[in-house]
Amino acid sequence: MSVGLILLSGVSALVLLGAAQRVLDRMQLSDRAALLIAAAIFVGGLIPSLRLGPVRLNLGGAAVPLGVCVYLLIRTDTKQELFRALLGTVLTGAAVFALGRLLPAEPEKMWIEPQYLYGLSGGLIAYLLGRSRRAAFICGVLGTLLADTLSAVLTWRAGIGQTLSLGGAGAFDTVVIAGILAVLLAEFLGEALERLSRGRKAPSPERRGEP
Amino acid sequence: MKKLFVLLCVLSALLPFAARADEEGGAVYEILDANGAALTWYAGVPQAGDEYISQDNRHFRIVRVDADARRAYADSLGDFQLPDVSWDQDGARPVSQKKRAVALYCTHSDESYESADGKSSIDKGGGIFDVAEALKKHLEEKGVTVHYSSENHFPHDAGAYRRSRATAASLKEEGVDAIFDIHRDGIPDAGQYESEVNGRDVTKVRLLVGRANQNSDANRHFAAQIKAVADKRYPGLIKDIYIGKGTYNQDLMPQAVLLEFGTHKSDKSQVLASTALMADVLDRALYGGVTGAAGKDSAAGNRGAYTGIAWLLGLMVIGMFIYALLATGSRRAAFEKWKGNFREMTGGLFSGRKKD
Repeated sequence: MSVGLILLSGVSALVLLGAAQRVLDRMQLSDRAALLIAAAIFVGGLIPSLRLGPVRLNLGGAAVPLGVCVYLLIRTDTKQELFRALLGTVLTGAAVFALGRLLPAEPEKMWIEPQYLYGLSGGLIAYLLGRSRRAAFICGVLGTLLADTLSAVLTWRAGIGQTLSLGGAGAFDTVVIAGILAVLLAEFLGEALERLSRGRKAPSPERRGEP
Repeated sequence: MKKLFVLLCVLSALLPFAARADEEGGAVYEILDANGAALTWYAGVPQAGDEYISQDNRHFRIVRVDADARRAYADSLGDFQLPDVSWDQDGARPVSQKKRAVALYCTHSDESYESADGKSSIDKGGGIFDVAEALKKHLEEKGVTVHYSSENHFPHDAGAYRRSRATAASLKEEGVDAIFDIHRDGIPDAGQYESEVNGRDVTKVRLLVGRANQNSDANRHFAAQIKAVADKRYPGLIKDIYIGKGTYNQDLMPQAVLLEFGTHKSDKSQVLASTALMADVLDRALYGGVTGAAGKDSAAGNRGAYTGIAWLLGLMVIGMFIYALLATGSRRAAFEKWKGNFREMTGGLFSGRKKD
Protein backbone atom coordinates (compact mmCIF):
# COMPACT_ATOMS: atom_id res chain seq x y z
CA MET A 1 0.00 0.00 0.00
CA SER A 2 1.13 3.53 -0.69
CA VAL A 3 2.01 6.00 2.07
CA GLY A 4 -1.27 7.82 1.45
CA LEU A 5 -3.33 4.66 1.87
CA ILE A 6 -1.50 3.69 5.07
CA LEU A 7 -2.09 7.22 6.44
CA LEU A 8 -5.75 7.00 5.47
CA SER A 9 -6.16 3.71 7.38
CA GLY A 10 -4.38 5.21 10.40
CA VAL A 11 -6.49 8.37 10.44
CA SER A 12 -9.71 6.31 10.12
CA ALA A 13 -8.68 4.26 13.16
CA LEU A 14 -7.72 7.38 15.15
CA VAL A 15 -11.01 9.14 14.41
CA LEU A 16 -12.96 6.09 15.58
CA LEU A 17 -10.74 5.79 18.66
CA GLY A 18 -11.35 9.47 19.45
CA ALA A 19 -15.12 9.08 19.01
CA ALA A 20 -15.13 5.96 21.21
CA GLN A 21 -13.14 7.75 23.91
CA ARG A 22 -15.48 10.77 23.88
CA VAL A 23 -18.55 8.53 24.03
CA LEU A 24 -17.22 6.41 26.91
CA ASP A 25 -16.13 9.59 28.69
CA ARG A 26 -19.80 10.65 28.77
CA MET A 27 -20.70 7.68 30.99
CA GLN A 28 -19.80 6.71 34.52
CA LEU A 29 -16.15 6.38 33.56
CA SER A 30 -13.09 8.47 34.28
CA ASP A 31 -11.05 9.97 31.42
CA ARG A 32 -8.39 7.34 31.91
CA ALA A 33 -10.86 4.43 32.06
CA ALA A 34 -12.57 5.70 28.91
CA LEU A 35 -9.25 5.84 27.07
CA LEU A 36 -8.23 2.40 28.34
CA ILE A 37 -11.51 0.84 27.25
CA ALA A 38 -11.33 2.54 23.83
CA ALA A 39 -7.78 1.17 23.49
CA ALA A 40 -8.97 -2.29 24.61
CA ILE A 41 -11.63 -2.22 21.89
CA PHE A 42 -8.94 -1.44 19.31
CA VAL A 43 -6.29 -3.85 20.52
CA GLY A 44 -8.85 -6.56 21.31
CA GLY A 45 -10.22 -6.18 17.80
CA LEU A 46 -6.85 -7.18 16.38
CA ILE A 47 -6.74 -10.43 18.37
CA PRO A 48 -8.29 -13.41 16.53
CA SER A 49 -11.83 -14.13 17.69
CA LEU A 50 -12.51 -16.89 20.21
CA ARG A 51 -14.27 -19.84 18.61
CA LEU A 52 -16.98 -21.57 20.62
CA GLY A 53 -18.64 -24.05 18.24
CA PRO A 54 -20.49 -22.07 15.56
CA VAL A 55 -20.00 -18.84 17.53
CA ARG A 56 -17.01 -16.53 17.19
CA LEU A 57 -16.56 -13.86 19.82
CA ASN A 58 -14.25 -10.96 19.14
CA LEU A 59 -12.66 -9.40 22.19
CA GLY A 60 -12.66 -5.79 20.98
CA GLY A 61 -15.77 -5.92 18.82
CA ALA A 62 -18.06 -7.66 21.32
CA ALA A 63 -16.53 -8.81 24.64
CA VAL A 64 -15.25 -5.36 25.76
CA PRO A 65 -18.41 -3.42 24.72
CA LEU A 66 -20.49 -6.19 26.35
CA GLY A 67 -18.44 -5.82 29.54
CA VAL A 68 -19.04 -2.05 29.53
CA CYS A 69 -22.80 -2.66 29.12
CA VAL A 70 -22.84 -5.08 32.07
CA TYR A 71 -20.92 -2.53 34.17
CA LEU A 72 -23.37 0.22 33.22
CA LEU A 73 -26.36 -2.01 33.95
CA ILE A 74 -24.96 -2.87 37.40
CA ARG A 75 -24.32 0.81 38.11
CA THR A 76 -27.84 1.97 37.25
CA ASP A 77 -29.26 4.15 40.02
CA THR A 78 -32.81 2.87 39.98
CA LYS A 79 -34.70 -0.26 38.98
CA GLN A 80 -36.69 1.89 36.60
CA GLU A 81 -33.51 2.90 34.77
CA LEU A 82 -32.46 -0.75 34.59
CA PHE A 83 -35.87 -1.73 33.21
CA ARG A 84 -35.76 1.05 30.62
CA ALA A 85 -32.30 -0.01 29.45
CA LEU A 86 -33.35 -3.65 29.11
CA LEU A 87 -36.62 -2.77 27.38
CA GLY A 88 -34.70 -0.48 25.05
CA THR A 89 -32.30 -3.33 24.29
CA VAL A 90 -35.14 -5.67 23.32
CA LEU A 91 -36.83 -2.97 21.22
CA THR A 92 -33.53 -2.06 19.51
CA GLY A 93 -32.82 -5.76 18.85
CA ALA A 94 -36.26 -6.11 17.28
CA ALA A 95 -35.78 -2.90 15.26
CA VAL A 96 -32.31 -3.97 13.99
CA PHE A 97 -33.62 -7.42 13.08
CA ALA A 98 -36.68 -5.97 11.33
CA LEU A 99 -34.59 -3.38 9.48
CA GLY A 100 -32.26 -6.13 8.30
CA ARG A 101 -35.14 -8.20 6.98
CA LEU A 102 -37.40 -5.49 5.60
CA LEU A 103 -35.01 -3.02 4.06
CA PRO A 104 -33.63 -3.75 0.60
CA ALA A 105 -30.63 -6.04 0.34
CA GLU A 106 -28.53 -3.61 -1.68
CA PRO A 107 -27.22 -0.68 0.40
CA GLU A 108 -27.45 1.74 -2.53
CA LYS A 109 -31.23 1.37 -2.53
CA MET A 110 -31.45 2.95 0.89
CA TRP A 111 -31.31 6.55 1.95
CA ILE A 112 -28.76 5.71 4.62
CA GLU A 113 -26.13 3.01 5.07
CA PRO A 114 -27.79 0.17 7.07
CA GLN A 115 -24.93 -0.17 9.55
CA TYR A 116 -25.47 3.44 10.65
CA LEU A 117 -29.22 2.93 10.90
CA TYR A 118 -28.81 0.28 13.62
CA GLY A 119 -26.99 2.68 15.95
CA LEU A 120 -29.38 5.51 15.15
CA SER A 121 -32.39 3.33 15.99
CA GLY A 122 -30.72 2.38 19.30
CA GLY A 123 -30.06 6.04 20.10
CA LEU A 124 -33.58 7.09 19.20
CA ILE A 125 -35.22 4.31 21.20
CA ALA A 126 -33.00 4.94 24.24
CA TYR A 127 -33.64 8.68 24.08
CA LEU A 128 -37.42 8.28 23.84
CA LEU A 129 -37.42 5.78 26.69
CA GLY A 130 -35.30 7.70 29.12
CA ARG A 131 -33.08 10.42 27.64
CA SER A 132 -30.09 8.44 28.80
CA ARG A 133 -26.67 8.28 27.14
CA ARG A 134 -25.82 5.14 29.09
CA ALA A 135 -29.03 3.45 27.99
CA ALA A 136 -28.28 4.54 24.41
CA PHE A 137 -24.90 2.76 24.50
CA ILE A 138 -26.49 -0.35 26.02
CA CYS A 139 -29.31 -0.35 23.45
CA GLY A 140 -26.91 0.15 20.51
CA VAL A 141 -24.47 -2.57 21.58
CA LEU A 142 -26.78 -5.19 23.10
CA GLY A 143 -29.55 -4.57 20.55
CA THR A 144 -27.19 -5.27 17.64
CA LEU A 145 -25.76 -8.38 19.35
CA LEU A 146 -29.30 -9.59 20.07
CA ALA A 147 -30.39 -9.10 16.44
CA ASP A 148 -27.28 -10.91 15.14
CA THR A 149 -27.95 -13.82 17.48
CA LEU A 150 -31.61 -14.05 16.50
CA SER A 151 -30.73 -13.98 12.80
CA ALA A 152 -28.16 -16.77 13.25
CA VAL A 153 -30.55 -18.94 15.29
CA LEU A 154 -33.21 -18.67 12.56
CA THR A 155 -30.60 -19.51 9.91
CA TRP A 156 -29.46 -22.57 11.89
CA ARG A 157 -33.06 -23.68 12.31
CA ALA A 158 -33.44 -23.54 8.52
CA GLY A 159 -30.61 -26.08 8.34
CA ILE A 160 -28.03 -23.64 7.00
CA GLY A 161 -24.56 -23.74 8.49
CA GLN A 162 -23.33 -20.29 9.42
CA THR A 163 -20.87 -18.79 11.87
CA LEU A 164 -22.40 -16.36 14.34
CA SER A 165 -19.67 -13.75 14.45
CA LEU A 166 -20.17 -11.40 17.37
CA GLY A 167 -18.20 -8.21 16.86
CA GLY A 168 -16.02 -9.98 14.30
CA ALA A 169 -14.89 -6.76 12.64
CA GLY A 170 -13.32 -5.57 15.90
CA ALA A 171 -13.34 -1.82 16.46
CA PHE A 172 -14.95 -1.35 13.05
CA ASP A 173 -17.77 -3.77 13.76
CA THR A 174 -21.38 -2.68 13.56
CA VAL A 175 -21.69 -3.42 17.30
CA VAL A 176 -19.10 -0.75 18.21
CA ILE A 177 -20.34 1.71 15.57
CA ALA A 178 -23.94 1.23 16.80
CA GLY A 179 -22.90 1.92 20.41
CA ILE A 180 -21.03 5.09 19.45
CA LEU A 181 -23.73 6.38 17.10
CA ALA A 182 -26.50 5.65 19.61
CA VAL A 183 -24.81 7.82 22.24
CA LEU A 184 -23.97 10.58 19.74
CA LEU A 185 -27.58 10.66 18.52
CA ALA A 186 -28.96 10.73 22.08
CA GLU A 187 -26.51 13.55 22.85
CA PHE A 188 -27.41 15.54 19.72
CA LEU A 189 -31.13 15.01 20.27
CA GLY A 190 -30.80 16.10 23.88
CA GLU A 191 -28.85 19.23 23.01
CA ALA A 192 -31.08 20.12 20.05
CA LEU A 193 -34.34 19.71 21.98
CA GLU A 194 -32.99 21.61 24.96
CA ARG A 195 -31.88 24.39 22.63
CA LEU A 196 -35.35 24.51 21.11
CA SER A 197 -37.03 24.68 24.52
CA ARG A 198 -34.48 27.22 25.81
CA GLY A 199 -34.99 29.50 22.83
CA ARG A 200 -32.94 32.68 23.04
CA LYS A 201 -32.28 32.35 26.75
CA ALA A 202 -28.62 32.13 27.66
CA PRO A 203 -27.43 28.65 28.61
CA SER A 204 -26.00 27.96 32.03
CA PRO A 205 -22.29 28.82 32.55
CA GLU A 206 -21.52 25.09 32.59
CA ARG A 207 -23.13 24.63 29.16
CA ARG A 208 -21.20 27.61 27.80
CA GLY A 209 -18.05 25.72 28.61
CA GLU A 210 -17.18 28.04 31.47
CA PRO A 211 -15.80 26.71 34.76
CA MET B 1 -46.33 5.03 28.73
CA LYS B 2 -46.60 8.14 26.58
CA LYS B 3 -42.98 7.76 25.51
CA LEU B 4 -43.51 4.10 24.64
CA PHE B 5 -46.48 5.11 22.51
CA VAL B 6 -44.36 7.69 20.66
CA LEU B 7 -41.65 5.11 20.20
CA LEU B 8 -44.03 2.57 18.70
CA CYS B 9 -45.45 5.28 16.43
CA VAL B 10 -41.96 6.16 15.16
CA LEU B 11 -41.15 2.49 14.51
CA SER B 12 -44.47 1.96 12.75
CA ALA B 13 -43.81 5.01 10.60
CA LEU B 14 -40.63 3.41 9.34
CA LEU B 15 -42.39 0.29 8.09
CA PRO B 16 -44.01 1.77 4.96
CA PHE B 17 -40.60 3.01 3.82
CA ALA B 18 -39.19 -0.43 4.46
CA ALA B 19 -42.05 -2.13 2.65
CA ARG B 20 -41.70 0.19 -0.32
CA ALA B 21 -38.01 -0.46 -0.46
CA ASP B 22 -38.67 -4.19 -0.34
CA GLU B 23 -40.98 -3.93 -3.32
CA GLU B 24 -38.09 -2.47 -5.26
CA GLY B 25 -35.87 -5.37 -4.26
CA GLY B 26 -35.77 -6.96 -7.71
CA ALA B 27 -35.85 -3.73 -9.67
CA VAL B 28 -33.78 -3.38 -12.81
CA TYR B 29 -33.20 0.11 -14.14
CA GLU B 30 -32.09 1.29 -17.53
CA ILE B 31 -29.56 4.12 -17.45
CA LEU B 32 -29.73 6.59 -20.30
CA ASP B 33 -27.62 9.56 -21.32
CA ALA B 34 -28.96 13.11 -21.88
CA ASN B 35 -29.95 12.22 -25.46
CA GLY B 36 -31.97 9.23 -24.33
CA ALA B 37 -29.42 6.71 -25.58
CA ALA B 38 -29.13 3.58 -23.45
CA LEU B 39 -25.89 3.32 -21.49
CA THR B 40 -26.39 0.23 -19.35
CA TRP B 41 -28.71 -1.70 -17.08
CA TYR B 42 -28.47 -1.76 -13.34
CA ALA B 43 -30.00 -4.32 -10.96
CA GLY B 44 -31.01 -2.07 -8.13
CA VAL B 45 -32.18 1.48 -7.71
CA PRO B 46 -29.68 4.04 -9.00
CA GLN B 47 -29.45 7.24 -7.02
CA ALA B 48 -28.82 10.79 -8.17
CA GLY B 49 -25.11 11.35 -7.66
CA ASP B 50 -24.06 7.83 -8.63
CA GLU B 51 -21.34 7.77 -11.25
CA TYR B 52 -20.80 5.48 -14.17
CA ILE B 53 -17.69 4.83 -16.25
CA SER B 54 -18.60 2.99 -19.42
CA GLN B 55 -16.59 0.29 -21.13
CA ASP B 56 -15.26 2.91 -23.57
CA ASN B 57 -14.33 5.19 -20.65
CA ARG B 58 -17.05 7.79 -20.87
CA HIS B 59 -17.86 9.27 -17.49
CA PHE B 60 -21.44 10.02 -16.38
CA ARG B 61 -23.25 11.18 -13.27
CA ILE B 62 -26.86 10.20 -12.64
CA VAL B 63 -28.99 13.29 -12.23
CA ARG B 64 -32.55 11.99 -12.25
CA VAL B 65 -34.30 8.75 -11.45
CA ASP B 66 -37.77 7.93 -12.75
CA ALA B 67 -38.95 5.16 -10.43
CA ASP B 68 -42.19 4.52 -12.35
CA ALA B 69 -40.46 4.03 -15.68
CA ARG B 70 -37.51 2.29 -14.01
CA ARG B 71 -35.13 4.63 -15.78
CA ALA B 72 -32.26 6.80 -14.64
CA TYR B 73 -30.81 9.72 -16.59
CA ALA B 74 -27.13 10.62 -16.55
CA ASP B 75 -25.21 13.71 -17.59
CA SER B 76 -21.89 13.33 -19.30
CA LEU B 77 -18.79 14.37 -17.37
CA GLY B 78 -16.58 13.83 -20.42
CA ASP B 79 -14.00 11.18 -21.00
CA PHE B 80 -12.58 9.35 -18.01
CA GLN B 81 -8.81 9.31 -17.86
CA LEU B 82 -7.61 5.89 -16.77
CA PRO B 83 -4.30 5.75 -14.84
CA ASP B 84 -1.11 5.31 -16.80
CA VAL B 85 -0.16 1.64 -16.70
CA SER B 86 2.80 1.80 -19.03
CA TRP B 87 4.75 -0.02 -16.30
CA ASP B 88 2.81 -3.14 -17.24
CA GLN B 89 5.12 -4.64 -19.88
CA ASP B 90 5.56 -8.19 -21.12
CA GLY B 91 8.21 -9.87 -19.05
CA ALA B 92 8.04 -7.17 -16.40
CA ARG B 93 7.26 -9.34 -13.42
CA PRO B 94 7.62 -8.60 -9.75
CA VAL B 95 11.10 -8.72 -8.33
CA SER B 96 9.93 -7.92 -4.84
CA GLN B 97 10.23 -10.77 -2.36
CA LYS B 98 7.40 -9.30 -0.35
CA LYS B 99 4.53 -11.67 0.28
CA ARG B 100 1.76 -11.08 -2.23
CA ALA B 101 -1.64 -11.73 -0.72
CA VAL B 102 -5.26 -10.88 -1.47
CA ALA B 103 -8.58 -11.89 0.09
CA LEU B 104 -11.79 -13.18 -1.50
CA TYR B 105 -15.23 -13.63 0.02
CA CYS B 106 -18.88 -13.59 -1.06
CA THR B 107 -21.32 -11.34 0.80
CA HIS B 108 -24.29 -12.69 -1.15
CA SER B 109 -23.41 -16.32 -0.66
CA ASP B 110 -26.68 -17.51 -2.23
CA GLU B 111 -26.01 -16.01 -5.68
CA SER B 112 -26.04 -18.61 -8.42
CA TYR B 113 -26.20 -19.11 -12.17
CA GLU B 114 -29.38 -20.67 -13.52
CA SER B 115 -27.57 -22.36 -16.41
CA ALA B 116 -25.48 -24.64 -14.22
CA ASP B 117 -26.83 -24.32 -10.71
CA GLY B 118 -30.52 -24.61 -11.62
CA LYS B 119 -31.58 -21.58 -9.62
CA SER B 120 -30.52 -17.96 -9.32
CA SER B 121 -30.30 -18.24 -5.54
CA ILE B 122 -29.39 -21.17 -3.30
CA ASP B 123 -29.72 -20.56 0.43
CA LYS B 124 -27.12 -23.08 1.56
CA GLY B 125 -24.44 -21.71 -0.76
CA GLY B 126 -24.70 -20.72 -4.41
CA GLY B 127 -22.57 -21.14 -7.51
CA ILE B 128 -20.85 -17.85 -6.73
CA PHE B 129 -18.48 -19.87 -4.51
CA ASP B 130 -17.34 -21.83 -7.61
CA VAL B 131 -16.44 -18.52 -9.25
CA ALA B 132 -14.54 -17.32 -6.18
CA GLU B 133 -12.71 -20.65 -5.93
CA ALA B 134 -11.77 -20.55 -9.64
CA LEU B 135 -10.41 -17.03 -9.20
CA LYS B 136 -8.49 -18.21 -6.13
CA LYS B 137 -6.96 -21.12 -8.06
CA HIS B 138 -5.82 -18.89 -10.92
CA LEU B 139 -4.35 -16.31 -8.55
CA GLU B 140 -2.47 -19.02 -6.64
CA GLU B 141 -1.06 -20.30 -9.92
CA LYS B 142 0.52 -16.87 -10.25
CA GLY B 143 2.10 -17.14 -6.83
CA VAL B 144 -0.40 -14.92 -5.04
CA THR B 145 -1.47 -16.10 -1.60
CA VAL B 146 -5.25 -16.05 -1.41
CA HIS B 147 -7.08 -15.84 1.89
CA TYR B 148 -10.50 -17.12 0.95
CA SER B 149 -13.63 -17.37 3.05
CA SER B 150 -16.51 -19.63 2.07
CA GLU B 151 -18.58 -18.29 4.97
CA ASN B 152 -22.32 -18.24 4.32
CA HIS B 153 -23.93 -14.83 4.98
CA PHE B 154 -27.51 -15.92 4.36
CA PRO B 155 -30.13 -14.43 4.20
CA HIS B 156 -29.69 -12.11 1.22
CA ASP B 157 -31.09 -9.10 3.07
CA ALA B 158 -29.96 -5.70 4.34
CA GLY B 159 -28.06 -7.45 7.14
CA ALA B 160 -25.86 -9.44 4.72
CA TYR B 161 -23.20 -6.74 4.59
CA ARG B 162 -23.30 -6.51 8.40
CA ARG B 163 -22.60 -10.25 8.62
CA SER B 164 -19.95 -10.21 5.89
CA ARG B 165 -18.22 -7.28 7.59
CA ALA B 166 -16.77 -9.67 10.17
CA THR B 167 -15.54 -11.93 7.36
CA ALA B 168 -13.94 -9.03 5.49
CA ALA B 169 -12.32 -7.66 8.64
CA SER B 170 -10.83 -11.01 9.65
CA LEU B 171 -9.46 -11.48 6.11
CA LYS B 172 -7.94 -8.00 6.26
CA GLU B 173 -6.13 -9.00 9.44
CA GLU B 174 -4.19 -11.56 7.38
CA GLY B 175 -2.22 -8.63 5.99
CA VAL B 176 -3.63 -8.71 2.48
CA ASP B 177 -2.99 -6.07 -0.15
CA ALA B 178 -6.57 -6.00 -1.42
CA ILE B 179 -9.99 -7.47 -0.71
CA PHE B 180 -12.47 -8.58 -3.37
CA ASP B 181 -16.14 -9.27 -2.70
CA ILE B 182 -17.32 -11.69 -5.42
CA HIS B 183 -20.86 -11.28 -6.78
CA ARG B 184 -22.93 -11.82 -9.87
CA ASP B 185 -25.27 -9.23 -11.35
CA GLY B 186 -29.06 -9.52 -11.30
CA ILE B 187 -29.99 -8.05 -14.69
CA PRO B 188 -31.99 -10.50 -16.81
CA ASP B 189 -30.21 -9.82 -20.12
CA ALA B 190 -27.15 -12.05 -20.18
CA GLY B 191 -26.16 -10.46 -23.48
CA GLN B 192 -25.07 -7.33 -21.60
CA TYR B 193 -22.24 -9.35 -20.12
CA GLU B 194 -21.26 -11.55 -23.11
CA SER B 195 -17.87 -10.88 -24.58
CA GLU B 196 -15.14 -12.44 -26.66
CA VAL B 197 -11.61 -11.95 -25.47
CA ASN B 198 -8.65 -13.41 -27.35
CA GLY B 199 -11.06 -15.59 -29.33
CA ARG B 200 -12.65 -17.07 -26.24
CA ASP B 201 -16.21 -16.57 -25.04
CA VAL B 202 -16.21 -15.09 -21.56
CA THR B 203 -18.47 -12.93 -19.43
CA LYS B 204 -17.54 -9.38 -18.62
CA VAL B 205 -16.86 -8.16 -15.11
CA ARG B 206 -18.41 -5.05 -13.57
CA LEU B 207 -16.46 -3.22 -10.87
CA LEU B 208 -18.56 -1.67 -8.13
CA VAL B 209 -17.22 1.00 -5.81
CA GLY B 210 -19.09 2.62 -2.92
CA ARG B 211 -19.08 6.40 -2.70
CA ALA B 212 -20.22 6.71 0.94
CA ASN B 213 -17.00 6.17 2.85
CA GLN B 214 -13.63 7.71 3.51
CA ASN B 215 -11.84 5.20 1.24
CA SER B 216 -14.05 5.95 -1.76
CA ASP B 217 -11.51 7.95 -3.78
CA ALA B 218 -8.74 5.47 -3.08
CA ASN B 219 -10.97 2.54 -4.05
CA ARG B 220 -12.13 4.37 -7.15
CA HIS B 221 -8.51 4.84 -8.20
CA PHE B 222 -7.84 1.16 -7.54
CA ALA B 223 -10.82 0.13 -9.69
CA ALA B 224 -9.63 2.46 -12.46
CA GLN B 225 -6.18 0.88 -12.30
CA ILE B 226 -7.72 -2.61 -12.64
CA LYS B 227 -9.72 -1.42 -15.65
CA ALA B 228 -6.66 0.22 -17.21
CA VAL B 229 -4.67 -3.02 -16.99
CA ALA B 230 -7.61 -5.10 -18.24
CA ASP B 231 -8.28 -2.75 -21.17
CA LYS B 232 -4.63 -3.06 -22.16
CA ARG B 233 -4.34 -6.83 -21.74
CA TYR B 234 -7.85 -8.10 -22.37
CA PRO B 235 -10.02 -5.47 -24.07
CA GLY B 236 -13.69 -6.30 -23.50
CA LEU B 237 -13.19 -8.07 -20.17
CA ILE B 238 -14.25 -5.19 -17.92
CA LYS B 239 -17.83 -4.14 -18.55
CA ASP B 240 -17.72 -0.87 -16.67
CA ILE B 241 -17.29 0.76 -13.26
CA TYR B 242 -20.33 1.73 -11.23
CA ILE B 243 -19.78 4.12 -8.33
CA GLY B 244 -22.88 3.76 -6.23
CA LYS B 245 -24.30 4.98 -2.98
CA GLY B 246 -23.32 2.53 -0.29
CA THR B 247 -20.28 1.33 1.55
CA TYR B 248 -20.10 -2.41 0.72
CA ASN B 249 -17.63 -2.73 3.63
CA GLN B 250 -15.09 -0.85 1.51
CA ASP B 251 -14.56 1.51 4.44
CA LEU B 252 -12.47 -1.29 5.95
CA MET B 253 -9.70 -1.01 3.39
CA PRO B 254 -8.57 1.48 0.74
CA GLN B 255 -8.03 -1.32 -1.80
CA ALA B 256 -11.38 -3.10 -1.77
CA VAL B 257 -13.57 -3.61 -4.81
CA LEU B 258 -16.77 -5.53 -5.48
CA LEU B 259 -16.58 -7.67 -8.63
CA GLU B 260 -19.73 -8.75 -10.52
CA PHE B 261 -19.04 -11.78 -12.70
CA GLY B 262 -21.88 -11.98 -15.27
CA THR B 263 -25.53 -12.28 -14.33
CA HIS B 264 -27.72 -15.11 -13.05
CA LYS B 265 -28.64 -15.75 -16.71
CA SER B 266 -25.02 -16.02 -17.88
CA ASP B 267 -23.46 -19.23 -19.06
CA LYS B 268 -21.48 -20.33 -16.01
CA SER B 269 -18.71 -21.90 -18.08
CA GLN B 270 -18.10 -18.48 -19.63
CA VAL B 271 -18.11 -16.91 -16.18
CA LEU B 272 -15.50 -19.39 -15.00
CA ALA B 273 -13.43 -18.71 -18.13
CA SER B 274 -13.31 -15.02 -17.24
CA THR B 275 -11.77 -15.79 -13.83
CA ALA B 276 -8.47 -16.85 -15.43
CA LEU B 277 -8.20 -13.51 -17.24
CA MET B 278 -9.31 -11.58 -14.18
CA ALA B 279 -6.68 -13.29 -12.04
CA ASP B 280 -4.00 -12.12 -14.45
CA VAL B 281 -5.41 -8.59 -14.42
CA LEU B 282 -5.55 -8.41 -10.61
CA ASP B 283 -2.04 -9.81 -10.28
CA ARG B 284 -0.68 -7.24 -12.73
CA ALA B 285 -2.69 -4.32 -11.31
CA LEU B 286 -1.42 -5.08 -7.83
CA TYR B 287 2.07 -6.42 -8.41
CA GLY B 288 2.97 -5.80 -12.04
CA GLY B 289 5.84 -3.68 -13.29
CA VAL B 290 9.55 -4.15 -13.06
CA THR B 291 9.73 -3.04 -9.45
CA GLY B 292 6.93 -5.29 -8.29
CA ALA B 293 5.18 -2.24 -6.99
CA ALA B 294 2.44 -1.39 -9.45
CA GLY B 295 1.04 2.04 -8.85
CA LYS B 296 2.75 2.27 -5.50
CA ASP B 297 2.98 5.82 -4.22
CA SER B 298 1.43 7.04 -7.44
CA ALA B 299 0.33 10.67 -7.26
CA ALA B 300 -3.28 9.83 -8.16
CA GLY B 301 -3.49 7.03 -5.63
CA ASN B 302 -2.14 9.21 -2.86
CA ARG B 303 -4.42 12.06 -3.89
CA GLY B 304 -7.42 9.75 -3.41
CA ALA B 305 -6.16 8.79 0.04
CA TYR B 306 -5.53 12.40 1.08
CA THR B 307 -9.03 13.35 -0.11
CA GLY B 308 -10.36 10.61 2.18
CA ILE B 309 -8.35 11.93 5.13
CA ALA B 310 -9.56 15.51 4.52
CA TRP B 311 -13.16 14.27 4.19
CA LEU B 312 -12.94 12.33 7.44
CA LEU B 313 -11.29 15.10 9.48
CA GLY B 314 -13.60 17.74 8.02
CA LEU B 315 -16.67 15.74 8.96
CA MET B 316 -15.35 15.24 12.50
CA VAL B 317 -14.58 18.95 13.00
CA ILE B 318 -17.97 20.04 11.61
CA GLY B 319 -19.81 17.48 13.76
CA MET B 320 -18.00 18.62 16.90
CA PHE B 321 -18.71 22.28 16.13
CA ILE B 322 -22.44 21.70 15.48
CA TYR B 323 -22.67 19.85 18.77
CA ALA B 324 -20.84 22.64 20.60
CA LEU B 325 -23.12 25.22 18.96
CA LEU B 326 -26.21 23.34 20.11
CA ALA B 327 -24.84 23.00 23.62
CA THR B 328 -23.73 26.59 24.11
CA GLY B 329 -25.92 28.72 21.88
CA SER B 330 -23.27 31.10 20.59
CA ARG B 331 -20.50 30.76 18.06
CA ARG B 332 -17.87 32.13 20.42
CA ALA B 333 -18.80 29.81 23.29
CA ALA B 334 -19.09 26.93 20.81
CA PHE B 335 -15.56 27.62 19.62
CA GLU B 336 -14.30 27.63 23.21
CA LYS B 337 -16.08 24.34 23.93
CA TRP B 338 -14.74 22.87 20.70
CA LYS B 339 -11.24 23.97 21.68
CA GLY B 340 -11.69 22.36 25.10
CA ASN B 341 -12.78 19.08 23.53
CA PHE B 342 -9.89 19.16 21.08
CA ARG B 343 -7.47 19.86 23.95
CA GLU B 344 -8.84 16.92 25.93
CA MET B 345 -8.71 14.55 22.97
CA THR B 346 -5.14 15.44 22.12
CA GLY B 347 -3.95 15.61 25.72
CA GLY B 348 -2.97 19.25 25.20
CA LEU B 349 -0.47 18.26 22.55
CA PHE B 350 -1.33 21.14 20.21
CA SER B 351 -2.92 23.79 22.37
CA GLY B 352 -1.33 23.39 25.74
CA ARG B 353 -2.99 22.13 28.88
CA LYS B 354 -5.85 24.08 30.35
CA LYS B 355 -4.64 26.17 33.24
CA ASP B 356 -6.30 25.49 36.60
